[in-house]
Amino acid sequence: MKTNDVIFQTTTKVVLFIIVMFSIFLFFAGHHNPGGGFIGGLMTSSAIVLLLLAYDIKTVKKILPINFLTLTAVGLMIAVLTGVGSFLFGAPFLSHTFDYFELPLLGETELATAVLFDIGVYLVVVGVTMTIIQTIGESE
Amino acid sequence: MAFQILLNFFLAFTWMFMTAEYNGLTFLIGYFFGLVILYILRRFFDRRFYIFNVLAAIKLLLIFIRELILSNIAVLKVILSPKLMNRPGIFALETELTKDWEITILSNLITLTPGTLVLEVSPDNKILYIHAMDIKDAEEAKQSIRNTFEKAIQEVSR
Repeated sequence: MKTNDVIFQTTTKVVLFIIVMFSIFLFFAGHHNPGGGFIGGLMTSSAIVLLLLAYDIKTVKKILPINFLTLTAVGLMIAVLTGVGSFLFGAPFLSHTFDYFELPLLGETELATAVLFDIGVYLVVVGVTMTIIQTIGESE
Repeated sequence: MAFQILLNFFLAFTWMFMTAEYNGLTFLIGYFFGLVILYILRRFFDRRFYIFNVLAAIKLLLIFIRELILSNIAVLKVILSPKLMNRPGIFALETELTKDWEITILSNLITLTPGTLVLEVSPDNKILYIHAMDIKDAEEAKQSIRNTFEKAIQEVSR
C-alpha cells in the first residue's frame, strides 16, 4: 500500500534548504573554525538523500539533472589544477597562498587559494556519496 | 513566487544566526547563498525561479518609462501643429489577461501613456474600451499594446 507522505514532503521542502545552507556555512567556516570541504560535502549529500527519501529517484533526477560521476571528475580536476597552479609562480606542487583584498560591498576580505582546493574536495565528496547511494538505490 | 522570496529571507536569517553576526552585510551574503541554493533546486518548485519574475517587473517598468517619453513627444507634436488634423475615437481591445490586478495594471499603463485612455472595462473583464487621440492608427495602437504591455505583464505573472 502506498502511504501518503504529505507531511514528510512538505517538511522536506523547507528543511532541505536549511540543511544546504548549513553545509555552505560549514564549507566556509573551514578556514578558521571546524568545518571544511569534506563535512560540507557530506552535509549537502545528506540533504539530497533526504530528498531521495521523501520523493523517488526519478523526481530527484528531474530536480537535479546532474551526472554525479562527472561532478566527481570536475572536483578532482579543480583540486589538481590548484596544485598545478603553484608551478606558474615557481612554487612546489600544492603550495597555497592567501592575501587580503578590498572587495566592493564586502570590504577587506581574506581570499585564500586553499578555498579553491576545498571546492574540489566538496564536489568529489558530493559526487562519490551520491554515486554510491544512487547505484545501490537503483539496483533491484 | 511569494513562497520562494519568503524562503530566501528565511535562509538569509538562518545564515545570520549561524555566523552570529547581525548586520546588513551578513544578511546580504546569506541572501546571496540562498539565491544560489534556490537556483540549483529551482525545478523543485511549481513556479519558475522568482528572479525571472523580478527581472520581468523591472523590464515592465523600463518599457513604461520608454513609452511615456515617446508618447509625450507624440502629443507635443499634435499640440504644436498649426492645424487640428487628429480624429478622436473609441475602440475596443480584447485582452487575454484574466487576473484583476493584471487588468488594472494594463488599464493604468494605457491611461498613463498619452494618446490613449481607458474608458471602461466590460463586465466580464474581457474587453477594454479605449479612447484614442487619433482613431486612424487605432489598429496600430492595438498591436503595440498587445506586443509591449500585455506581453510584459504576462511575463511578470507567469
